[in-house]
Amino acid sequence: MNDLTLIRKNLFRKKLRAILLTLSILIAFFIFTIIGSFNRVLNAGVELAAADRLITMNNSGFTQSLPYAYWGRIQAIEGVRNVSHMSWFGGYYQQPTQVVQTFAVDPETYLAAYPEFLMPDDQRAAFLTQRDCLLVGETLALQYGWSVGDRVPLLSNIWQKTDGSSSWEFDICAIYTASVPEMSTAAAYLNYDYYNEALAFNQDRVGMMVVNTDDPMANDAIANQIDAMFANSTAQTDTATEAAFTQAFINQIGNIGLILVYIIGAAFGIILLIVGTSLVVAISERTREIAVMKTLGFPAPRIFRMVLIESVMLSLVGGLAGVGLATLVLKGLAPVLAAFMPGLVVTPGIFGMALAMMIGFGLITGIGPAMNAHRVRIVDALGKQ
Amino acid sequence: MFKQTSAITLMNLRSLPQRAGMSLATVLSIALVVGVLLGFLAMANGFQKTIDGTGSEDVAVILRGGSQFELNSVLSADQFRIIETAPGIAADADGQPLVSAELYVVVDGIKKDLGTEANLPMRGVGLQAPSLRGQFELTAGRMFEPGSNEIIVGEAVLDAFEGFALNQTIRLGTNDWQVVGLFSTGGTVFESELWADIGVVQNLYQRGSSLQSIRARLTSPDAITELEAFADNDPRINELDIFNEQEFYASQSGTLTTVINAVGWPLAIIMAIGAFAGAWNAMYSSVDARMREIATLRAIGFSGGAAAMGTLIESLVLAAVGGLLGAVGTYLLFNGASASTLGSGFTQVVFAFAVTGDSILAGMIMAVMIGFLGGIVPAIRSAYVPLLTVHRSE
Amino acid sequence: MTSLYTLTDLSKGYTRGKESITIFEELTMTIPEGDFMAIMGPSGSGKTTLLNLLGGIDRPTSGSVECQGVRVDKLSEGKLAKWRSQNVGFIFQFYNLMPTLTAAQNVELPLLLTGLSGKQRKERVATALDIVGLADRKGHRPRQLSGGQQQRVAIARAIVADPKVLLCDEPTGDLDRKSADEILETLQLLNTDLGKTIVMVTHDPSAAKYARRELHLDKGRFVEQVQEPAQ
Repeated sequence: MNDLTLIRKNLFRKKLRAILLTLSILIAFFIFTIIGSFNRVLNAGVELAAADRLITMNNSGFTQSLPYAYWGRIQAIEGVRNVSHMSWFGGYYQQPTQVVQTFAVDPETYLAAYPEFLMPDDQRAAFLTQRDCLLVGETLALQYGWSVGDRVPLLSNIWQKTDGSSSWEFDICAIYTASVPEMSTAAAYLNYDYYNEALAFNQDRVGMMVVNTDDPMANDAIANQIDAMFANSTAQTDTATEAAFTQAFINQIGNIGLILVYIIGAAFGIILLIVGTSLVVAISERTREIAVMKTLGFPAPRIFRMVLIESVMLSLVGGLAGVGLATLVLKGLAPVLAAFMPGLVVTPGIFGMALAMMIGFGLITGIGPAMNAHRVRIVDALGKQ
Repeated sequence: MFKQTSAITLMNLRSLPQRAGMSLATVLSIALVVGVLLGFLAMANGFQKTIDGTGSEDVAVILRGGSQFELNSVLSADQFRIIETAPGIAADADGQPLVSAELYVVVDGIKKDLGTEANLPMRGVGLQAPSLRGQFELTAGRMFEPGSNEIIVGEAVLDAFEGFALNQTIRLGTNDWQVVGLFSTGGTVFESELWADIGVVQNLYQRGSSLQSIRARLTSPDAITELEAFADNDPRINELDIFNEQEFYASQSGTLTTVINAVGWPLAIIMAIGAFAGAWNAMYSSVDARMREIATLRAIGFSGGAAAMGTLIESLVLAAVGGLLGAVGTYLLFNGASASTLGSGFTQVVFAFAVTGDSILAGMIMAVMIGFLGGIVPAIRSAYVPLLTVHRSE
Repeated sequence: MTSLYTLTDLSKGYTRGKESITIFEELTMTIPEGDFMAIMGPSGSGKTTLLNLLGGIDRPTSGSVECQGVRVDKLSEGKLAKWRSQNVGFIFQFYNLMPTLTAAQNVELPLLLTGLSGKQRKERVATALDIVGLADRKGHRPRQLSGGQQQRVAIARAIVADPKVLLCDEPTGDLDRKSADEILETLQLLNTDLGKTIVMVTHDPSAAKYARRELHLDKGRFVEQVQEPAQ
């Protein structure tokens, strides 16, 4: 027997209470882990953004395109390693509700800009050379049961061909996976030239540019240089780092951070109230025993410590169970949500944060009861019958 | 039985202050659960209300075939002139057809809450546009002058974005605009827009004479079939999609509302389990604290059922108080609060949180359920308190 | 006999509101090593308070409590706790065992304050339980034991760390006659065979008969009666 034996026995003295408190702590940490994991994936674009990638858009807003000629002009800037471009295709498959995120890109420079795209060499070669090739993400291919060699028509809700049709025929010649699990593989990419030459309007325009710099330190200077280059053109540009661009997009959805703070705040507020008051009651029920321990010679600081360890242990039991349950649930959800929330797992970072919060929560809920226990006066407590 | 129950219940409730800590914790934790639920529902309802209020059933929205959203559509001036002659379209007092050609571009506004850029729709319209929105009202200033860089600003934009006060000049992209008027449309999506003269927008955004959408006031909602027949049969106009404006907007609200509900409900239910554990624990302690009292009452002839009911009612009262507190708190904190999110047209839709009666009812039901489930086992336990407890010293 | 305790001019009082109440005033006495003393007296006469002062769980208003050269009344809280663990064993009227622990674990509790290894502790616990005759009940929890058995566990707990003095507060107050006699016989044995100094507060004259001497505390004064231990 040692102090931990005593602590453990005290913790589970009233089994029902211990179970109920564990359950409520479990739930708070379950919510924390789930929400933390979703939030991480949501913001992964910002964290995973390559330091050397810049995005150049029309400064009149994302619906305004840029002249194709800008592509070559940006390439000429010193310190720029690679420039590519992408245009929103507005694609859907068979019916408008089956939206397919589709972009028209220059294959060679695009794959150079985004080394995260992984595919077999022969498929890569096909995408680079075959004009009507469609490069499809793994998740997307799975969704529609597509495989390499299939011919599929995609319709555009924006673009029309000179013949008045909105349907483009593609040959699925490559399927990509991502080198980072948080990157979506629910998109499709097509050859810009194949798309551009059939366009009925808005020919020789691109949606935005992706610029890779030689040195991230030079990002600002190069961004300024690009924007200055087109300052007197009809289409002025706005260049930002990929991280800033992604963050701006997330912010458009709303003040998600604040909502998450409210939710997690409420979840922890609930257990703080429940566990906090229960521990105060639990310790006050034990006043007499604490007085006996002190009489036997247990020093007050040691008793203080034991009560604190007890509350931290309770928090750890409930918290670890909550994180464990969340891990299982996310494992089940991840395949279902792969298209919107790729890479949904409990990372060591989130686990570490949860662990720190368990200890913190245990200390916060335990400090009051521990102080009460520290303060117990033997004579008063033993006098009470 | 009833008299016994009410006597015991009153006694329990009077002794609540002695168990203040845990009772208060129960009330507040239930309030937080209800608060979270109502917060989400207020968000969903507010957004839904804004979208649902938008569009009237006797207005037709005409887009290029297959384009789905205004943003994707392109129509020509010729198509517009032909539609003006179509049947089924109402005329104003002067006999002019009530038809509006509109061009919609996206500009960057600065959101007040985050201080970051967000997409704002700028709608280039003709002077007919207000008469195609039922509740359009200029609340301050005047209409823009055709051919000038003047805009009128929806009131929701004014609330949620920086720099759109009346008479201010604002730079959007490469152009300066003068805010000359503010307008309201009765809380619809249009209030999240900036309106300018379509000719100026076409010019500044290099759109030539093209437009995106045509709105037409119909002589009656059914007249849309005449319009459709006309469009189908006229060889001069390419394929068009013609929507009833009300349905056009209703079809766009689905996803976000579904997402909010799909997140809000499970979250609230999971939290409710936590609060339920808390309520059970509190009621268990309450029965513990009242052991001798219950045994004494039983000894002098009160029934076990009455003791159980007393405990259960105490739990229900705590839960109901918590539920009310949560509802009132959410109402005071969030009702009417303005928020904005990315609508289906890739532009911001500003909406106001709406705490509705239905959602308060849902919250109260949830609270009472937590109280019932948390109180039922302790209640049964209090019916079986051994009578000998009366002699117990501790 | 050398004296174990020396009490000098010991006074204890407390204030209730504005009123100050004196329990006893200027007591002076010595307790020799190996003594078995019963303190008797009516309720409120200060018996338990005196015991608390001897045990270092309460402090005098004035005067001194000295135990083998240590001024107990002057020790800091931390030193006092240590002193208690090494020198004093307590036995209470209501046993005060830990309900969650087994008999053996209850007895082991004071040994957690020593540097003894787990094995040494186990041996000591076994010896202590042997002395009180409960070796076969070591795995039982207090709830599974009778009052007399619980009190014997409490005695084992009190002696396990081998203190010099046992302080007993109404040790038989909650027991039937037979159990009480067994407890008192055990105490007597501890006094005669193991040389423990015992101070026992009781209001039961027949319990007091087991002591070497009786001390009557009344209105803060002592009246001593020496007697031969009962056989």
